[in-house]
Amino acid sequence: MRDILPRPSRIDSDMWVDEAIWGHRLYDEQNPWLCFMEFLNVLNSEMEVDRAFVETIPNSLSYSPQSRLYLRHILFNNPRMSVIERQHRNDNRAQWDRWKESMANSAGIMNPDYAYLEERFSSFEDFKEVVEFLCSSTIEGENNKRWSSQFVFPFGPDCLYEDLNVRDNGTSQDRRFFARTGEMLYLMLSRSGKGDELISHFQSRILKKEMKFNRLVAALQPNHELVHSTTTKREGTYLPYIDLPEYAAIAEDWIQLFRCNIPTYDVVPYLINILGLHMLLYSLNRSKEVLDQNEKATFVVEIVSPKKTVIREISADSFSDNHNLSRFAVEHYVGRVRETEEWKAAIQENELLTIREILKRKFSWPKDNKEKDFEHIESAEELFDTFFENAINRHKQHLNKFHNVWSREIGLSSRRGSRRSRYAPQDLLLKSLVLCVVPSRMEFQEFLEILYVKYGLIIGDKQAAVYINTGRADQEAFFENAARLEQRLSSMGLLKRLSDACAYVENPFATREEGQL
Amino acid sequence: MTTSHSEWIKFLRQYGPIPRNDNMYDETIQRVVKRKKIQPILIEAKYLEELITNFRSEKPKSVILTGTAGDGKTFHSREVWLDLGGTYEQWEVPGNIKQLPIGNHKTLYVIKDLSELTDQEREYLVLFAQGIKGRRTDVLFLIAANDGQLIEALKQVNEDFNAIGIREIIEEMLVTEQQEHGSYGLRLYNLSRISAAWALPQVIDAVVNHSGWNDCDHCQYRDHEDMQKRCPIWENKKRLEDVEGAKTIRTRLIDLLELCEINNVHLPMRQLLLLVANMILGHSDVKDKLMRCQDIPTIIEKRTMVKASIYRNVFGENLTERKREATDVFNTLGRFGIGNETSNKIDNILIFGNDDPDLKDLYQELMLSDEYYGADYTFKIQQKAYLEGNMEEGGAEFISLVRSQRQRLFFSIPREKEDDLKLWELTTFQYAGEFLTKVYRLIHQGAKPSSQILSRLVRGLNRISTGLLTRTQDKLILATSGSHSQAKVSKIFESFISVTRDRGESVQIKAEASGKLNLEVSLSSNPATPIVKLHLQLIRYEFLSRVAEGALPGSFSRECYEDILAFKSRLLKQLDVRKKHDEEDVEFNDSMSFHMIKLNADGVLDKKTVEVLF
Repeated sequence: MRDILPRPSRIDSDMWVDEAIWGHRLYDEQNPWLCFMEFLNVLNSEMEVDRAFVETIPNSLSYSPQSRLYLRHILFNNPRMSVIERQHRNDNRAQWDRWKESMANSAGIMNPDYAYLEERFSSFEDFKEVVEFLCSSTIEGENNKRWSSQFVFPFGPDCLYEDLNVRDNGTSQDRRFFARTGEMLYLMLSRSGKGDELISHFQSRILKKEMKFNRLVAALQPNHELVHSTTTKREGTYLPYIDLPEYAAIAEDWIQLFRCNIPTYDVVPYLINILGLHMLLYSLNRSKEVLDQNEKATFVVEIVSPKKTVIREISADSFSDNHNLSRFAVEHYVGRVRETEEWKAAIQENELLTIREILKRKFSWPKDNKEKDFEHIESAEELFDTFFENAINRHKQHLNKFHNVWSREIGLSSRRGSRRSRYAPQDLLLKSLVLCVVPSRMEFQEFLEILYVKYGLIIGDKQAAVYINTGRADQEAFFENAARLEQRLSSMGLLKRLSDACAYVENPFATREEGQL
Repeated sequence: MTTSHSEWIKFLRQYGPIPRNDNMYDETIQRVVKRKKIQPILIEAKYLEELITNFRSEKPKSVILTGTAGDGKTFHSREVWLDLGGTYEQWEVPGNIKQLPIGNHKTLYVIKDLSELTDQEREYLVLFAQGIKGRRTDVLFLIAANDGQLIEALKQVNEDFNAIGIREIIEEMLVTEQQEHGSYGLRLYNLSRISAAWALPQVIDAVVNHSGWNDCDHCQYRDHEDMQKRCPIWENKKRLEDVEGAKTIRTRLIDLLELCEINNVHLPMRQLLLLVANMILGHSDVKDKLMRCQDIPTIIEKRTMVKASIYRNVFGENLTERKREATDVFNTLGRFGIGNETSNKIDNILIFGNDDPDLKDLYQELMLSDEYYGADYTFKIQQKAYLEGNMEEGGAEFISLVRSQRQRLFFSIPREKEDDLKLWELTTFQYAGEFLTKVYRLIHQGAKPSSQILSRLVRGLNRISTGLLTRTQDKLILATSGSHSQAKVSKIFESFISVTRDRGESVQIKAEASGKLNLEVSLSSNPATPIVKLHLQLIRYEFLSRVAEGALPGSFSRECYEDILAFKSRLLKQLDVRKKHDEEDVEFNDSMSFHMIKLNADGVLDKKTVEVLF
């Protein structure tokens, strides 16, 4: 077993099982985009105090995200703006006045005062144009989330704010959508050893104050909200492993994406896609470690074909195997305690108190104020079973769904045309992979091999040896699978086929003189 | 009167899509040639003269011949060998590598096959490297290998000091389709890249003019008085040859193949031979789906001649779907969707033409005039039943006949009627005909396409660029959405680029040396802001034209859509470069302005300036 960092002293959760294996935490409702947004908040806040990617004491992260309530009300809690603009057209004064009235009850702000906007914009109409324009860049477009969980596109540092629950009497971080997955990402990158290079890339592109649209977003905010405030402090993230190959892997892929020199913000969707893939691998690998499985995590990938192929079945099996891994890991992790000497001794002596103490020490269960709920249990067997059931149920609520949700979000898995989910990558993911893996040009077979080595993706027959040897599929099926990938990459402009079974995957952003495509 | 049993037909069958072991292709054919004493099908070797001139010149260069099986690599090599003084016997001696002293104290090494080189033989590749780098001026090489083998072999040699770098160079040349390289004494000929416009007529002529057809002279089925007793093989051959006519089948096929080449899909010689053989001999009911003389009586008796229709055989309709998809040429031609696609006009003629007085003339000309493969007996019966509503299976039989007729029409509608009947609507690429005749070939002849076409392309680009249904076509609109360039609607105006030349700005269609067509956008006469080019192949042309005429950018081809968006982001990048040079990119600390795009009721773009003050 790998070395695990000591867990935090104060734990506010029902138990410490999932967290011990995967950290605090991976969360299904925080999708990759939101993970990235949380991460940016952390990074920016640490950059403000010159501490970016520096971790002196492990798991001691304490950062100050901004709330920017004025901005958020204007963008996402502003239902009367269009109506007022129309009703009082040609009367600029009236438009401003009526509108300010309608915003008088902006929740979470004491005595809201929007007068500063009148100096920023020559007319209310202009103001409305800008607001509508920025709204169109909302992440995930139109969605049903509460207004305080809507995020404007991260044009720059002044666009960043944390997810909040905003009510009339105040705000709270209910960890609904910023559930710490982004914080974990931050710690991973801090421990990757490539922090400095990443900082310089972020500073020159995404976290640059002078960028045009960042300044536009800043124009919507009162001066006091533009100053970096350190009153709020968020703490408590826990990443159990001081060093993993996964950390450097994410960092390297991101650096490679930055090096591609993709136009301004276009790099963001690729960064997010790849981070998603790495997080999936991280979660699968941790499960495998707990289960003592030595083979690496793999994904049998079907490149979609019009007709059903045997690959689809195998891929669906691969999906469901991976899906179940985390639950098996938890079952094993928890069940393991019964093999320990101290447990066996306590069972023999029927020392219920010792049993309780072991469960509390190892798993922080039950929580301090919940101990009474289980005091009535008299048998060690029943105590363990109750705990086991609670642990599994808790796991099923969120972390069990992580693989399902994230693989879908990054375009890796799909249910299209089939009852079962399987791995069928979408174009954006394929392109992200090409950009990360291919510096400028690479032979197709080599590309397939690297996809397997780096990400565990099984597409062609050479990598599918284990399935072919056990007779689950013949070589031809996987060979055709790879041929379909060739065709797909070719139609995306990412592959050049020579006259023979010889093809090259090409990175469209490789340093090349302008003028050619 | 007799029925022939033509050896020539049997021989021709060998070139068709019969099940065979491809490695034995040459051997099988050579064996039949020798045994039956048939003249082989001879096609001119395109580059032969050039190669010989090279090796005989004062400063000869080494040559690599690549291509797939059957492209003629071995053939070319042997002919060069013979021409330079080598003998047949020497050539036939087993061994991959041959030497021949040629003029100027040089030795020519010919490597016939790179697939199984011994270690010792690999040393020759090092010698080759020295040769092309100019370190050894007394050696020349002629290497015949397909791309995969070539790269493999070069990989194995790469470690040698003398050979460093040649793999990258040659790889680069292969991928970018360069024939020569500035600093290396090397020429690369890709025999797969023959142009269909040159090769197909050669193949057709070689087949239809073959002396083997003399075997048919005394056959009773040849040109029988009763049309319904005529041999379909001979009918197909006549139509392909089209001695008296406009050779429409030939020209349309060349059109299709040329369009494929523009889309970077090349068919080697062997596939063209397969196509021609299948065209003449295909029939869905016979053994191996290719006719022999002994099949004819049965076909005529059962009246299934229409299944031998040359127009269906072009698309491999005689074969099973699986076989069709597995055969390159049919797979490729199938992408045009001929048979599936149609227009109201065409289908009206096919279905109602007999009864509609307005269409009667066209029906006569296009359908009734061809009693053999056109509106034949079966077709007429099915058509009547369809129109009267007495169909079994909902008319599936008739629909499949209609499908075949669409295929036939594609190859028989005369040139003069192409525009009127909108010939290319019979394919998935409605604008293909226009692209080929009014853009691609025109530019290669040195002329310029009409401004109407350019305007249409610009209009399409603008609609994609802004995501709005704009009608602007005299200038290119560069607009962003602020966030990533894959966003669908872009409302922030950045700049107009004039289509007609104005202060360094322009939009033109031009061909580059390799023959590729590009849409070239120039943003500035300053050479520090280079031109941005978009490779204009058929799919992009079709896509832009359709969007210009009202289709949504999300339809037809998503990959194309993203291609064009990527082109837009390159344009925006160059705009930034231009701004830097013109020093227009100065940002003021206290104010900022944006231009938001709005579309007014007439489809014309309006700009609204919004100013923000700090």
